[in-house]
Amino acid sequence: MTSTSAEAVLTAAPRLEPACKSTRSRKTLEPARTLDDLINGLHVIFADDVVDVEEVTHFMESYCAKKNEWETLATFDTHRYTRNLIDSGNGKFNLILLCWGEGHGSSIHDHSDSHCFMKMMDGSLTETKYSWPSEKKKRPMNVTDVTAYEKDHVAYINDSIGLHRVENRSHTNKAVSLHLYSPPFNMCQSFDERSGHKVKCNVTFHTKYGEKGCYKNKCK
Amino acid sequence: MKFLDLTWKGLNELNDEHQSLPTKNSMAYRDKTDAETTAVAVEEIDASHNLISKFHPKFICSFKHLIKLKVCSNCLSEIPAQLSNLTMLKELYVTNNRLTFLPPELCRLQLEVLNLSGNMFKVFPPVLCQMVQLKTLLMGGNGLREIPKHITNLIQLEVLYLGGNAIRFIPNEIGDMLSLNALSLCDNQLTAIPTSFSKLTNLKSLSLHNNVLHYLPREVLSLVSLAELSLRGNPLVARFAHDLAYDPPTLFEIASRSIALSGTNYTTSCLPPQLIQHLNSASKCPNPKCAGVYFEHKYKQIKFVDFCGKYRLPLMQYLCSPECISSGTSSAASSEYETEDEEERSNDIIRRVLLG
Repeated sequence: MTSTSAEAVLTAAPRLEPACKSTRSRKTLEPARTLDDLINGLHVIFADDVVDVEEVTHFMESYCAKKNEWETLATFDTHRYTRNLIDSGNGKFNLILLCWGEGHGSSIHDHSDSHCFMKMMDGSLTETKYSWPSEKKKRPMNVTDVTAYEKDHVAYINDSIGLHRVENRSHTNKAVSLHLYSPPFNMCQSFDERSGHKVKCNVTFHTKYGEKGCYKNKCK
Repeated sequence: MKFLDLTWKGLNELNDEHQSLPTKNSMAYRDKTDAETTAVAVEEIDASHNLISKFHPKFICSFKHLIKLKVCSNCLSEIPAQLSNLTMLKELYVTNNRLTFLPPELCRLQLEVLNLSGNMFKVFPPVLCQMVQLKTLLMGGNGLREIPKHITNLIQLEVLYLGGNAIRFIPNEIGDMLSLNALSLCDNQLTAIPTSFSKLTNLKSLSLHNNVLHYLPREVLSLVSLAELSLRGNPLVARFAHDLAYDPPTLFEIASRSIALSGTNYTTSCLPPQLIQHLNSASKCPNPKCAGVYFEHKYKQIKFVDFCGKYRLPLMQYLCSPECISSGTSSAASSEYETEDEEERSNDIIRRVLLG
C-alpha cells in the first residue's frame, strides 16, 4: 500500500539535479532477495540523476524481510523509538532502521523537502497523515488519512503530500521499519497537534552502522 | 549462553522429548561451541509461535538451569505451579496467550522480567505484588480495570507497562515507586493523574496518550528526569475560563483554616480524633505569595506551560482563594491562555459580566 506524489519523477525535491534521461533500463533490477541485495540495488537506482518513486517503492516491496538479516542492526530503547543508520547511500540517501517498542510513536513531522520511503520489516505501524497547518491562526491540525502498514509494505511521503505521525499501536509486539530519505537531512520540524505550533529539531541516530554513540537533543 | 530455538515448530506441548536435543551443529543452536549440549546446559529457550497449551512436568525437571523462557503466541490458559521449580529463572515472557490468573507459587521464583502482555487478565494477579525482585513488568493489552495499592511492594520496579487496559484510576501509592524510570498508561480510561507523581523523580518516560485527561497536575513539573511524555489523544483543555460565580466556603472550612493558620494547639484532650485527623489534612496553598491553607474548599487554576518538549500543556493546581488565582505565579513560559485570541476572548467575557 503506497501513496505516491502526482509526478512519478522526483522533480519536487529542489536539491536533486535537473532531470536527464536515465542510462539504466528499469527492467535490469532483480527483486531483492536479501538485505544486501536491497542496499546494493538502491545504490544502483540512486546512481542515476533521475529516480522514479514507483520504481523505488516497487523494489523495496520486493524484499521479503528476514529477521536474521537485520536483527544485529536493531537496538530497542525502553523510553522511545530508535533510529539506527545503516547506510549513507554515497551521500544521495540515508537508510535508517527504526526500532519501535510497544506503544512508541513519533511526533507529527515534515521531511525537509526530502522523499521518505518506509519499508515494514517486522510488526505493524500506523501512519496518520495531516495537512499543513495555517501559518497565521493556531488551530487543531486536520487528519487527512490513517493507514496501518504490515510486514513488507512500503509507504511514501514528501512535504507536498503533507505531514505525518507514525506509531506502533501494539501493546504486545515491537515493530521495525526501514526508512530511506533522499536527499539525507538532519533537521526537520515537529508540530503540536492541538495548535499547529512548530519547532525545529535535530534528527539524531541511536547507532550508526551498528555502533552506539552518544547523541543528544533527539528529535521527538 | 546455550540457546534452544523451538519457535514455529507446530508444537502442542512442551515436553521432555526435547531432551533429545539437536547436536552442536544443528541450526537450532545459535551458540556453536564444542561442548556437548544437554538439557542441563540450556539457559534460554524460545518456544514462541506454536500451539502449546501445556507444559509437561518432565520438561520442567529437564531444563533445571533455565534463565530465560519465552512461550509467546501460544495457547496457554494457565502457567503450571511447577514452573516455580525452575529456580534459576530470571526472565519469563508469556505474551499473546490466554492467561486469566497466575498460580500463587510463582512468587517462589526470583523473576526480574515478566511479560504478560496480550492475555486476558481482568484482575491484577495478587501474586505479582509479592514478586519483589521484579525490575520489569509488562501487562499491556489485557482487560485490567484497576491497579492494586500493594503494587508499591515492588520496590525495585523500573519499567511498568500497563497500556491498552481499561484502567480508570491510578492509586496515589504509585507515587511511592521511586525506582520507576518508565511508566506506560496509554490507551486506558484515565481522567486524572495523582499529584503523588511528583515524587517519581527517576521517571524518564511517561506514556499517557489516548486517555480522557483534560489537564495534568502542576506537580508533573517536579519530574526532573522526564525526557519523553506522550499526551496525544486526550481532550486537553484549550482554554480555561475562570468561574466568576464562586460558592463561598462553609463555616467549617473557615473555622478549620482559622485554627490551622493561627497555630493554635489542638490535642486529643480537647478535640475528638476525627477533627484532629481533619485538621492534620490541611493543604498549603501553592501560591508562594500566600501563606494560606485549604481543606475541602479549593479553587481550580489552569496555566498553559511548555514542558518536556510539549507546547503549552494545561497544568492544574488548586489554590485557597479567588484572590490567589489573580496574584499567582506566572513563569515566563506560562500563561493562562493558550493563545492571544483566547486571552482577548476571556477579557471580553469578564467585561460583559462586570457590566451586566
